[in-house]
Amino acid sequence: MKERAMAITNDILLFIDKYKEGFQELEEYEQDFNTLSLQLFNYQFQHNLPYKKYCQTKKRTPLTVKHWLHIPPMPIQGYKELTLSCEPADETEAVFMTSGTTNPEQKGRNYHPTLRVWDASMKYPFKQFVMPDKEKLTMLVLSPAEDLNKNSSLSRYLSNAVANFGTEDSKLLFKENGLDMEELIKELQKCEQKQEPVLLIGATFAYVHILDYLQEENLHFQLAEGSRIFDTGGFKGQSREVEMEELYQHFQAFFHVSRSKCINMYGMTELSSQLYDKTILSSCNGEVIHDKAGPAWVRTVILDPETLKPVEKGTKGVIAHVDLANWNSCIAILTQDEGVQTDEGFQLLGRIKGSEARGCSIAVDQLMQAAEGGASFS
Amino acid sequence: MSNHVIVDAFYLPNSIKLKNFQEKPIFVNGVNYLLRYPVIQKQELQEIAAAVKENRRTYLATLPTSEIVVKIDKAIQLWLNPDYPLRQLAESLVPAITGYDSDMVRLELKKYMRTFRKRELLRFLDEEFDQPAILDEFRPRKSGGMSRAFGPSTIFHIFSGNVPGVQLWSLVMGLLLKSAAIGKTSLSEPLLPVLFLQALKEVDEALAESMAVIPWKGGTVELEQAAVDWGEAVIVYGSNQTVEAIKKRTPVHKKLLSYGHKISMALIGKEALTADHFAKTLHKVAEDVSIYDQQSCLSPQVIYVEKDGALSPKQFAQGLAGELERYHLKRPRARLTGEEAMAIQNIRNQYHLKSLSSDKVAVYSSKEDTAWTVIYQEEPAFSGTPLNRTVHVYAIDKLEAAADLLKSYETYLQSCGLAVEPARLFSITSLLGAVGVNRFCPIGEMNSAKPGWHHDGGFNLIELVRMVDMERNLEYEMEKYDEDVE
Repeated sequence: MKERAMAITNDILLFIDKYKEGFQELEEYEQDFNTLSLQLFNYQFQHNLPYKKYCQTKKRTPLTVKHWLHIPPMPIQGYKELTLSCEPADETEAVFMTSGTTNPEQKGRNYHPTLRVWDASMKYPFKQFVMPDKEKLTMLVLSPAEDLNKNSSLSRYLSNAVANFGTEDSKLLFKENGLDMEELIKELQKCEQKQEPVLLIGATFAYVHILDYLQEENLHFQLAEGSRIFDTGGFKGQSREVEMEELYQHFQAFFHVSRSKCINMYGMTELSSQLYDKTILSSCNGEVIHDKAGPAWVRTVILDPETLKPVEKGTKGVIAHVDLANWNSCIAILTQDEGVQTDEGFQLLGRIKGSEARGCSIAVDQLMQAAEGGASFS
Repeated sequence: MSNHVIVDAFYLPNSIKLKNFQEKPIFVNGVNYLLRYPVIQKQELQEIAAAVKENRRTYLATLPTSEIVVKIDKAIQLWLNPDYPLRQLAESLVPAITGYDSDMVRLELKKYMRTFRKRELLRFLDEEFDQPAILDEFRPRKSGGMSRAFGPSTIFHIFSGNVPGVQLWSLVMGLLLKSAAIGKTSLSEPLLPVLFLQALKEVDEALAESMAVIPWKGGTVELEQAAVDWGEAVIVYGSNQTVEAIKKRTPVHKKLLSYGHKISMALIGKEALTADHFAKTLHKVAEDVSIYDQQSCLSPQVIYVEKDGALSPKQFAQGLAGELERYHLKRPRARLTGEEAMAIQNIRNQYHLKSLSSDKVAVYSSKEDTAWTVIYQEEPAFSGTPLNRTVHVYAIDKLEAAADLLKSYETYLQSCGLAVEPARLFSITSLLGAVGVNRFCPIGEMNSAKPGWHHDGGFNLIELVRMVDMERNLEYEMEKYDEDVE
């Protein structure tokens, strides 16, 4: 890693350290955030050529951008289409790839020359949002960890969670040929008997399969007080789609874990930080808040899909993030997720689908289906 | 509140009295309108169905076709008067319901209504029947014998989309065939067929009594099944899913006409890009793309532009961008939902990102919003757009090569706007016709299909009628039973 990369990552690590528990002085924080984001934007503009080109076509350069809100967000398709890396892309500690559910041939890639920033960005918010009241928890991991998938940011995330905050009884239950359901049941029974709080942690769709299994086997668990359920990522066509509220009811019924101890993490390969439901954090202080929030080094903005300018609080729009931890690719990204800003943070409303044509004209999505196996698409 | 004007978004025979309604307020030109929709149950629908069927039997079925034509024409003549109250109501309410620019709606409706005048209807009938009187009585055939055509006694029409007025074609077809109608409208544009029937009622109340138009939420199985069971024929417009769902519920013996989603294109020859032609060419293509915000399947989503003209394909794309901007300033596009706007942002991003690493791709788009988008590519291909004035421009060496690009999409192709020299007209139409294109027209007129056109490549009236033959010998044989014959 080059010196300048060392310098910028050190600055970001200092920022993370300073604000890992949130901020006291709003003004100072705003200033610090703005200064570092402009510094990082300047750095990326110099060293990430495709991003520079993109910004130039949007007529935004470090000379004209004076506030982090004006940094052009890279559409997440850019992580598929372009090589977005300040450091040489072949000299990295890790490359995280999207699952490529839409087109397996073309996966989004986020290059990490070092994982120091990523790890730091993962660690403190995990503590803050998932286990503000505990130092360690027994974790039962339901999705592949890093030993099985080096290119998945979620796998790294799960391994880090266990390494930093898991008790010795924690288990990685996803094996090479899938989730070991029998061992999961055994571990759950153990925790139930010992009345030891447990954290179930994995992809959202994993729970659908588990609940189906428990239903079929007629198994229920009275998990100890302080147990919690963590899910992330939605269903992605890996299981049938279930209403989240229905899932939470089942969590109560099958695990005896209440809604206030369920937490959804919102993360993306294209980002280097994660955002969380405030359920657990807020329930430790009494009132339960379901809205999402993230660490101080991430700002989430809701944009009007028509103009890509910020909307007012309470209005639905497309989500963009500015993430200081995303130092090697693009500080700002434009997602395809719909959200709404609230007093407490924001709500994630799901993916914005390509809409069906209103008239009799066939729209692009349907034509794509028609073309499967047909002529090549540009 | 007393200052509301209630407008019914449904049309029913007089004998039917409904109780449950929903109202939707629309404020336009200083007037508070309340658009009223009935909320109907299966039993009510069946009562409506029985009523229009009976009214048809006692009146519409007894009218000669030529008389029906005259009556429709009279209703249209009312419409052609700019001061006609129903026309004025349509001109203020349809833009408010659909979001289309009001000038565009006014001009397009005016043009569209003219396609139902007497002369157009006669042409439409003549196009499909050698002698339209065959719909009224047994007529001699050239090969001997006599034939008569019976239209279905009842037609269930399922309308979709919000291109104002498309439903009228279907309703008029049914009238010409003396069929009672139940039309299910979409809530996104339910008004025009209702106003048309109200005009018809002014001309001949008994005639309009055989027609009913009611909006309900598409996919309401109980109602749709009842209507399918009732209809001797079913005509369905909509997405492939809608069409498939209705097909599944329609017994094989019933006539079913379906108009699924289609895609249209334009081919611009280098001879239309010369110094004296190119400006008009650009203007016309921009109109084709912009009218009704490209919601009609007649509107092009793909433009092939031939190389080696005075204007290069890339310059064409830039020029088209300019024309689309001008059109937008004159007649702004409708406001979109977040999903629709995001679909446009996504396709822009997709090609914009490509353009960073390739000068064979370029995206030209409105600055502050999603009002219009031109995606230029030097490698020709075929791809749809999210509509709402979003268009692909492909450079192509020779227009004739477009046929190869289109052949995988045969079932989806429809109209093609052309600008080529006469010497190439027949070769190009033959090549493209062979791969599925079924309508060719000049650019600038893509949104105005002509009366009597073969909609999606098929017949219209002929598909719906049942022919009854009296064989040649029958007449002579029957003579025997005439006591008076030698």
